[in-house]
Amino acid sequence: MSVEWIDAALRGEKRAIARLVSLFEDRRVDRASERRRVIEALDAHPEVRAAAIVGITGTPGAGKSTLTSEIVRHTRRLEPELRVAVVAIDPSSHVSGGALLGDRTRMRLPPGDVNVYFRSQASDTALGGLSPHTFQVCRLLHRLFDVVFVETVGIGQNEIDVRHLADRVYLVMQPLGGDEVQFLKAGIMEVPDEIVLNKCDEAEAALRSYRALKAALSLARPFDGDSIPIHRVSARTGMNVELLTERILERARLDRQSSLHAREVHHFARWVEDEWGRVGLRALESFGGAEAVMREAGDFDAAQAFFDRKVRAAIAASTAS
Amino acid sequence: MSEVDRERPRHMLFDAEGKPTRDKPWIFRTYAGHSSPRASNELYRQNLEKGQTGLSIAFDLPTQCGYDSDDPVARPELGKVGVPINSLDDFHILFDQIPIEKMNTSMTINGTSMWLLALYVALARERGVDESELRGTTQNDIVKEYLARGTYIFPPEHSLRIIAEMYEWCLEHVPNWNASNICSYHLQEAGATPAQELAFALVNAIGILDLLKERGRFTHEQFEQVVGRVSFFVNSGIRFIEEMCKMRAFAKLWDEITRDRYGVKNPKYRLFRYGVQVNSLGLTENQPENNAWRILIEAMGVTLSRNARCRALQLPAWNEALSLPRPWDQQWSLRLQQILAYETDLLEYPDIFDGSHVIESKVEALCESAREEIDKILGMGGVRAAIESGYMKSELVRSMSERMRAIATGELTVVGVNRFTEGLPSPLLSGDDGGVFKVDSSSSEETLAVLEKTRRERDPARVKAALEALKAAAKNGENMMEASIECALARVTTGEWANALREVFGEYRPATGIEGQRLGLENDRVEKLRARIGALVDRLGHRPRIVVGKPGLDGHSNGAEMIAVAARHVGFDVIYSGIRLTPEQIVESAVEEDADVIGVSILSGSHLELADQLVAGLERAGAKDIPLVFGGIIPKSDFAALEAKGVSRIFTPADFELVEIMEQIIGVVEASAKG
Ligand code: B12
Ligand SMILES: Nc1nc2c(ncn2[C@@H]2O[C@H](COP(=O)(O)OP(=O)(O)O)[C@@H](O)[C@H]2O)c(=O)[nH]1
Ligand SMILES: [Mg+2]
Repeated sequence: MSVEWIDAALRGEKRAIARLVSLFEDRRVDRASERRRVIEALDAHPEVRAAAIVGITGTPGAGKSTLTSEIVRHTRRLEPELRVAVVAIDPSSHVSGGALLGDRTRMRLPPGDVNVYFRSQASDTALGGLSPHTFQVCRLLHRLFDVVFVETVGIGQNEIDVRHLADRVYLVMQPLGGDEVQFLKAGIMEVPDEIVLNKCDEAEAALRSYRALKAALSLARPFDGDSIPIHRVSARTGMNVELLTERILERARLDRQSSLHAREVHHFARWVEDEWGRVGLRALESFGGAEAVMREAGDFDAAQAFFDRKVRAAIAASTAS
Repeated sequence: MSEVDRERPRHMLFDAEGKPTRDKPWIFRTYAGHSSPRASNELYRQNLEKGQTGLSIAFDLPTQCGYDSDDPVARPELGKVGVPINSLDDFHILFDQIPIEKMNTSMTINGTSMWLLALYVALARERGVDESELRGTTQNDIVKEYLARGTYIFPPEHSLRIIAEMYEWCLEHVPNWNASNICSYHLQEAGATPAQELAFALVNAIGILDLLKERGRFTHEQFEQVVGRVSFFVNSGIRFIEEMCKMRAFAKLWDEITRDRYGVKNPKYRLFRYGVQVNSLGLTENQPENNAWRILIEAMGVTLSRNARCRALQLPAWNEALSLPRPWDQQWSLRLQQILAYETDLLEYPDIFDGSHVIESKVEALCESAREEIDKILGMGGVRAAIESGYMKSELVRSMSERMRAIATGELTVVGVNRFTEGLPSPLLSGDDGGVFKVDSSSSEETLAVLEKTRRERDPARVKAALEALKAAAKNGENMMEASIECALARVTTGEWANALREVFGEYRPATGIEGQRLGLENDRVEKLRARIGALVDRLGHRPRIVVGKPGLDGHSNGAEMIAVAARHVGFDVIYSGIRLTPEQIVESAVEEDADVIGVSILSGSHLELADQLVAGLERAGAKDIPLVFGGIIPKSDFAALEAKGVSRIFTPADFELVEIMEQIIGVVEASAKG
């Protein structure tokens, strides 16, 4: 049934896109086959696209959402034919499970623009900066859009996840306060391909931070630290945002992968680890590894159920003997 | 010690000649304005005849937010909560036969304050009145707009510049005009505790005075005078002893700040001058007649103590939570003030609390908490930084959540709401009109006709030149007052004035303050709800999502914020993007996020028009299956019409229990969940 939404989604109709996104976020096991049908239909569709996936990470309050909104606006102006999607992830409450999805508040996009789609996502209880469904949703949006921006929660730990999702990761920082110094230590510097120093309207602090960052980078990444670009921008005044957008779009063209296969392999292994822990990983190894299991199962969507069955059978066999 | 001075006993007041005397009463104000300039003019003249001594003008939301009456966003709000003003022609009608040179005119205007003052000055010029004789106040407090009231337009930096320029211009040209009025009234209405009210209002004043100092256009002499012109607009709540102490704390802290921070030597200029509107947040829909007593008690809080007595007082009416007041309702509240001032012996005494240790200690405690908070905010970089970071807003939402929690648990008694709820039906509600005010919609035709005539008859070249000059002044950093007065004389319209500045300054959306908020309400009912949502998660395949929307120009955010916080508390994923969105934007959010329900909050009275626009938008997007629930000030008589448009549930202030509201919304989602 979801296949019916495909034509409309490729035309940019938001209701259709939104329903499909919900399918890719759906946690019910029996939805995998439905997803598989959608992916197959999309891949066979002449209008299918292959978006570059751009990761935007950085501490809460650094200005990720504000900046993303500005980048999207510039993108719309610089390359009006491009279709742009934004997925922004916010933290869920551990007590109630609910989340306040506040990133949309920062989005200053003209309503009714069919070439821009914004979707919020709750992190659920996942530890990483992404929701368990972010990758799934990106598999879909990759085929419907030209550029997909993913804004992570930005809590710090496990932000590394976004590396296995995006073609290129931009770390947004603000002029350093006490927190950020911690952050530099916490290994966040390993993540980004490029760094954006936002809020450079606060000129003095920005210059200080720029220097501190340069120093921290060459410490944290002795081999490539010097070659990591640091963009100084202000989402508030618009300073250098157009330049940054041009850069992002240019890199997106270069980095864009027509297939997400390698990332599917990674995320499938991640899923195995989340669901089954070390035991699962050992089992996966014994079945020939993630790629082999996916191939045997048919594809990414089928792999989970397939693995589930296989492991259970193996356990049953071992307890029977 | 106890020797009584027979000549001049301490319990009496004496005039300069030593004769026993009575104090002069405060100014009685009735906040009014509605429908059209002509209808409001009639109302003002009636009120003046009844003995009211000042004018207090309420503008409609389009005027406050800088839109012409015929702008699409303005239409649902036109003339609803105040008078629409499009151009100087409307001011001529509004003040017809009212001698402005004799009036003390207070205008509740903020985002467009410079424009309305320019119109008033232009009116004086065209009438041949000496503008230096004009007296009154433009509310012009942008900080509390970002925090509580919602009629901001430009980003803080530019809005604060406008305020500074008005102070600078007024001191030279209309020395008796209060360029702005620091408001804490609205902060209490948005949940502020007494200490927060004190601290936030005072850092706000500090922000403006610091800015004026930094701009350096005044000599110290003039600066002292300006400090002397700063007046306040304060709230007075039901805890009237504490509120009285709060007023004394204000006076004390203001004296400290003006002396120590600004070196104001003349004690006259260090006086804390303030007007009051008593609390309306605590006025209830249930048993509305009880509100009459609340208003009386709250009025006492700001009149009993002579040293902390307000200069002007305006009172809401018994039917506050039902609709705008009718003329009779206003008259009834005005009578309260007249009885208090003229029948009682209140004005015969010096301060009756001087020397009370209890009061003194309470005042000092309030001062202490306020000082702490002031230092904290100054440490963050001052009021502008604390607005931009969302700190102050977030603190208010926290206090409001706490208030809602306390009402729900019964910790805070509200008679007729969570205690003593059984009662006889109120005869006040049984008249033909049900005790509520209905705006006469025919008057909007007249407003639109005047606007059209103005546009037709003005000199387009002069209009264009005036707007260009305004933009140039905005860009160059020149004072924009004279350019605005020329705009007024040229018959520029409200929307044109605001748009010219939007082009230069851009627009602003402040923080919503709801992130990280908790309701602090944990009980069986909440647990049950979470379990129900858990079951829904399994059934739907995702956590239910609610879009909470505030369409139109209505700035009442409390209700929407509380719904958003409560929804997250029970386990919804919540999308709330703040006030002043168009129906199209809300529909787009709901569609893109694939929402399971849309909750709309409207207190401005335009629910019918906005419901039409929302439903039409959903239809266009192919999303009519997303259920809609409404809440706010919605008269029972409109329920059927809303339901016919497709609204599933309607909530009003009588539905004060957030948990119960959530139960109903979950019911709506369960019912609409297919499969
Ligand atoms: C507080 C208040 C304010 C505060 C608002 C602070 C804020 N940030 O929200 C301040 C002082 C700023 C203010 C200003 C104005 N106000 Co006022 N205000 C009130 C007041 C006293 C209480 C409203 C309130 O916050 N209640 C507490 C909250 C929690 O309750 P609630 O919003 O009713 O929400 C509950 C239910 O209604 C329901 N609900 C509400 N929304 C939703 C949404 C969903 C999805 C659901 C499920 C449920 C739901 O659930 C909530 C929980 O119980 C009312 C009168 C009254 N007593 O109700 C007037 C009132 C709403 N204001 C009024 C007016 C006219 C104004 C002004 C326009 C005056 C003017 N001309 O300038 C200004 C301008 C504001 C603007 N920009 O729009 C009028 C509206 C008249 C009308 N509808 O015809 C009222 C009714 C007063 C009156 N009788 O004149 N106001
Ligand atoms: N001064 C300044 N403030 C900014 C800038 N960009 C964002 N902000 C502010 O920083 C705060 C956090 O922004 P947001 O986009 O929500 O950050 P996120 O949590 O990283 O998504 C908001 O108050 C923004 O207005 C900037 O360039 N300069
Ligand atoms: Mg964000």
